[in-house]
Amino acid sequence: MAELFEQEIQQEIQAHKILIYGKGTKTAPMCGFTKETMQFFDKYGYPYELIDVLQNPAKREALTKLTNWPTLPKVFINGTFYGDTDVLDPMEKKGELVPLLKAAFEQK
Amino acid sequence: MITADVVSSFIQRAIPDATVTVMDRTGTMDHLSVRVVSDLFKDKSLLDRHRLVYQALDAPMKDGRIHALEIKAETTDGG
Repeated sequence: MAELFEQEIQQEIQAHKILIYGKGTKTAPMCGFTKETMQFFDKYGYPYELIDVLQNPAKREALTKLTNWPTLPKVFINGTFYGDTDVLDPMEKKGELVPLLKAAFEQK
Repeated sequence: MITADVVSSFIQRAIPDATVTVMDRTGTMDHLSVRVVSDLFKDKSLLDRHRLVYQALDAPMKDGRIHALEIKAETTDGG
């Protein structure tokens, strides 16, 4: 079942430099953590995409298997999985996030 | 709804030397912030540290006793 979405997910994480899988939409986030994650990235001004998987339990399950991460939201930067703000916050404090975002968006 | 002791016992089953602090974020004891300090985290990435905590709390998260969980996972020297 998971393979069904594997390709779709791979395309999505390659297509968006910052991708949040979460609950709800940009204008109507359905969960505090999804909103918090968007606000986290709003600070940097880089564009990001939010894909709602609340209505798609099978895709949500495929994502959980792919990332070995049980919760939403799930954040991908430049095609790599980074968990959620629980992981991004400490990265930010250690100064690891800005270079990562710069590298993602300023690739020649 | 879950108590701090039960959360700690779940975590200590998977991470025996863990010092666990549980904060109730909404007053309903199911939206929690959990701080786990253990030297088992020393050579682990942030993602793997959090995966360990999620695996330890898999049961109460699956049955809804824990609805939302924020995790801080550090080593004893705050790393």
